[in-house]
Amino acid sequence: MRIVSWLLLVVGLVLTVLGVMAVLGQAGSGTQPWGTELADNFVFVKALPFVLGVGVVMGLVMARTHGPKVRSDGAIRRWSPGTVFGHAVLTVGFVLALPTGMWQYLGGILDVNLPIPLYLFYRVHYIGAAVVLFAVAAFVSYLWMTGDRSLLVPRGQWARHLLGLAYELPQPIRARYAKLLRVDLTQPRPPVGQFTFYERVVEFPSWSIVLALITITGLIKAGRYLVPVPGFVLWLASTLHVAAMVLIVIKLLDHFRYVFPRWPLMSSIATTWVSERYARLRHPAWQQVMAGGATPVGRHTEGERSPASSGIAGGGDA
Amino acid sequence: MRRLVALLGLVWCLANLGVAYFFLTSAFVAKTAAKEGILAQLSLLVGGVLIAGFAILLARECWRMLTSADASETA
Repeated sequence: MRIVSWLLLVVGLVLTVLGVMAVLGQAGSGTQPWGTELADNFVFVKALPFVLGVGVVMGLVMARTHGPKVRSDGAIRRWSPGTVFGHAVLTVGFVLALPTGMWQYLGGILDVNLPIPLYLFYRVHYIGAAVVLFAVAAFVSYLWMTGDRSLLVPRGQWARHLLGLAYELPQPIRARYAKLLRVDLTQPRPPVGQFTFYERVVEFPSWSIVLALITITGLIKAGRYLVPVPGFVLWLASTLHVAAMVLIVIKLLDHFRYVFPRWPLMSSIATTWVSERYARLRHPAWQQVMAGGATPVGRHTEGERSPASSGIAGGGDA
Repeated sequence: MRRLVALLGLVWCLANLGVAYFFLTSAFVAKTAAKEGILAQLSLLVGGVLIAGFAILLARECWRMLTSADASETA
C-alpha cells in the first residue's frame, strides 16, 4: 500500500508539472488578449485542479506516517511526520500569500503605489494561494484516510473541555468566562490529553473555519473570469476573503503567543516528538494512555518502538 | 534558539502594529468613508484594534522569553 501511495504521488507530480507547463505555454503563447494580471489569474485557476489533485495524493502519503509511537527514551510522537510536512507547507504558503494579500488590500485603502508593479504582488499571492490549497487538500485527504478526529472535541465531552479550558485561561478572565458559560469551577481540573483544551476548543476549530473561509472565497474570486459569478456573490466573497485574511493575521499572533512559551510544543512541530517528562507534566492523561498502551515490540534501528495497536485512545496523531 | 525566535516574534509584532496603525488611521479618513462606506470603516477599526491587541500580547510573551527562561503556562 505504501508503494502504491508513493507511485500515485509521483504520477500526480508528473501530471501537475505537465499540466502547469501546458497552462504556462497557453498564457505565454501571445495568442490570448490578456494583460499580465489576467494571464496570471488564468494560469492560477487552470493549474488549480492539478494542485488540488496532487494535494489529495500527498495526503495519502502523509496518512502512511500516521499512528502513535513511543521512543525508547519515553518520548511520545505528538505529530505525525505527514502533519509536520503539511504544517511546513502551509507556513510557506502563508509567508507568500499573506503579506502580498495584505498589501493588495492596504494599497487600495491607502491609495499608495509601490515602485514594484502590482501584478508581481498578485503573482506571488497566487503562488502562495496555490501552496495553501495544496496543503489544505493534503490535510483533508489525510484526515479522511486516517479517520483521525483527535483535533475535535468528542461528542458529549464539551462540558469537560469547557471546564479544562477555564483552568488554562489567565486568572483575570477565568471567572468571567466561567460565569458566561456556566462552568462550575468547584469541579477539579480535568487532566490534559494529547492536545490542550485551548487547542481543541479554540485553536483547531478556529483555524479550520478561517482556512475554509479563505479557501472558498478565494476560489470564487479566482474563478470569476472562467465562470460567471453574480455581482452580490462576488462582493460577498471579496469582503469575506479580506475578513478571513484579517482573522488569519490575528490567529497567527495568537498561535505564536500560545506556543512560544510552550517550547517543547514548538519543537514537536519540527521533530514530531515530545519528551516523556514534558508529556507527564503537561499532558498527563495522554502520557498515561501511551505508557500503558504502548507495548514494547522491540526496538527499531532508529531507536523507536511502536504501540501494539494503532488505535490507542488519545493516540490519534493529526 | 529561543532568543532568536523571541526576537523574530518581536519583529513580527512590530510589523503587525504597523498594519494595525494603517487600519486604525484609515478607519477615520474621509476617503475611506466616501469609497468604502461605514461598514468598511467599522471593520477597519475593529480589525485594527484586534490586531494591535494580539500583537501586544505576543510582544509581552516574546519579551518574557527574552528576559526569562521560565515561561508562563497559561492560555
